[in-house]
Amino acid sequence: MSLLELKDVSKVYGELHALDKANLTVEKGEWIAIMGPSGSGKSTMMNIIGCMDRPTSGQVIFDGRDISKESRKKLTEFHRDKIGLVFQQFHLINYLNAVENVMVAQYYHSMPDEKEALEALERVGLKDRARHLPSQLSGGEQQRVCIARALINSPQLILADEPTGNLDEANENIVLDIFKQLHKEGTSLVVVTHDPEVGEVAQRIVRLEHGKIVSDKKNENFTE
Amino acid sequence: MNKKQRMFIRMVVASLIRRRSRMIVALLAIVVGATILSGLGMIYYDVPRQMSAQFRSYGANIIFTPSGDGYVSEEDLDQGVSIFKKEELEGFTPYRYENSNIHNLPVTLAGTDFDSVMKTSPYWHISGRLPMGDGETLVGAKAAEKLGLDIGDSVSAQNSFMITEDTDLTKIPDYEIYTDPETGEKYCDHLLEMQVTGILETGGPEEEYIYTTFHDISSLTLSERGYDIVEVSVAAMQDRLKDYIKTINSNVSGISSKLVKRVTASESTVLTKLESLVFIVTLVVLALTMICVATTMTAVIAERRREIGLRKALGALNSSIIAEFMSEGLLLGGVGGIIGAVLGYFFADVVSMNVFSSSITFRPLLIPITIAASVLVTGLACLIPIRSAVDVDPALVLKGE
Ligand SMILES: Nc1ncnc2c1ncn2[C@@H]1O[C@H](COP(=O)(O)OP(=O)(O)OP(=O)(O)O)[C@@H](O)[C@H]1O
Ligand SMILES: [Mg+2]
Repeated sequence: MSLLELKDVSKVYGELHALDKANLTVEKGEWIAIMGPSGSGKSTMMNIIGCMDRPTSGQVIFDGRDISKESRKKLTEFHRDKIGLVFQQFHLINYLNAVENVMVAQYYHSMPDEKEALEALERVGLKDRARHLPSQLSGGEQQRVCIARALINSPQLILADEPTGNLDEANENIVLDIFKQLHKEGTSLVVVTHDPEVGEVAQRIVRLEHGKIVSDKKNENFTE
Repeated sequence: MNKKQRMFIRMVVASLIRRRSRMIVALLAIVVGATILSGLGMIYYDVPRQMSAQFRSYGANIIFTPSGDGYVSEEDLDQGVSIFKKEELEGFTPYRYENSNIHNLPVTLAGTDFDSVMKTSPYWHISGRLPMGDGETLVGAKAAEKLGLDIGDSVSAQNSFMITEDTDLTKIPDYEIYTDPETGEKYCDHLLEMQVTGILETGGPEEEYIYTTFHDISSLTLSERGYDIVEVSVAAMQDRLKDYIKTINSNVSGISSKLVKRVTASESTVLTKLESLVFIVTLVVLALTMICVATTMTAVIAERRREIGLRKALGALNSSIIAEFMSEGLLLGGVGGIIGAVLGYFFADVVSMNVFSSSITFRPLLIPITIAASVLVTGLACLIPIRSAVDVDPALVLKGE
């Protein structure tokens, strides 16, 4: 069984088809890059996959369950348990320090555990920055905190929207290394990007244009 | 306390401490509101007391007179005044009037208690000073003019009576005896030498009298007796005064008590007007501060829409977001309420000092009321923006900018 299946999913804003009958399957442990020009519907798709938004029509089947018809509350519970999100902007709570920001995800998921949160920060190389507030962290460090937060609850799927969009090359490589690590551990990854270098490291590349999937290819250059 | 509750507290505390400047603004709004609430509350409840204390400066509001032909006895007086609540009884002054002659002119002597007289007649204006004991006298301005008396003068009050077989002249310290040449009756002219210590101006009938101690008046007349009238000053409203009068008239047989109508009637009209004025002002100011607190809290929450969206994206249920933000708001409301309740007392005291020149009575009950009102208003002010923020799609809030 696939981890995730989008069947004829559309999202319509007035006249605009932000997503137009998209079909996509994500297997367990798969690493997919979603690419496309600005405004092509990448974030829209991410939000639907991430249960933060509901499609206008079509079905979203996650782990064998159709979640497009679920109530908002059910959706929230569902995505909390299965999905880790990395946003296009680094969304951190500005009055909580790095480790507390990670703990917030634990708090809403199950039980906050500072030791585990520190371990997650260590994984992204931020152990010594754990007590810093977001304003005291660089953009790259903030994004790594977001990643630590996304993986803290060991989700089945990590959804990352432009995780490297605001980062320099060094930081980009750190983030990609973490993704490689997660992939090795069997986590499914869906990464939105318009950076070809970030696309190149994924197993599969899906291209979107005007809300439509225009290509869906295996990445020949993918290396384990 | 489990880890989840600890994290909850950690987040609330972090939000309050690390967003200090925002929180101080919100807290300030709440403190100002609570201060005004508790201050005006205290003033509102204290106005009747303050005002009746003020009105007491117009003089006594109850008088006791003998119920029959006799006099008000010491026992009746004790019984009568014991009926008033101690804290309401401002003072009482008995009077005994006797006719006498000074420099062969008829005058009225009034025996009284100089220690209490200013409590029932605070409006008395005295040049010189009150007598401090026997042998001293306070002379009404009109009497002083008639007799040509001034402060420091000596004056002899004269009491003449016929000497009969019963008269015991040994009791009289200072007297002259003369015989009526026509009838042959013997008369005793008893004199009481006194020093004028003060001249009394009131603009009323009191200016006609010459005030002495009870002891002096007794030794002049050679008789001990009760009082003609007792003036009582009670810090209470008209209805309560009427109740007192009823009780005294039915329980103390020797006394007939009545209201000094002129004083009490105007007192209660002014008071009612003043109370409603303070009440209206309190309500208006309260409404304004509530709006102010509400707008501040709304702005504080509106700023955090993104954070609310983020928490939702991290899997927070609406109910837990409401709980977190509300407890922050309620905590602020509580702290602001406590500070405001205390500040309000000082505020009321300053106002009272300036307006009534006396300090305010502390009303402990207003502290919990202020805190509760402050928590309630802040809670309501938070609830509305939180509810609307929580309903927003996280995808929308987290996007862009
Ligand atoms: N809430 C909305 N209301 C109306 N139109 C919207 C809304 N959200 C997105 N759109 C439109 O849908 C289209 C797709 O938006 P989306 O955010 O998915 O683009 P994207 O591929 O993520 O772009 P970028 O690379 O710039 O992030 C855009 O044309 C956008 O203007
Ligand atoms: Mg986007």
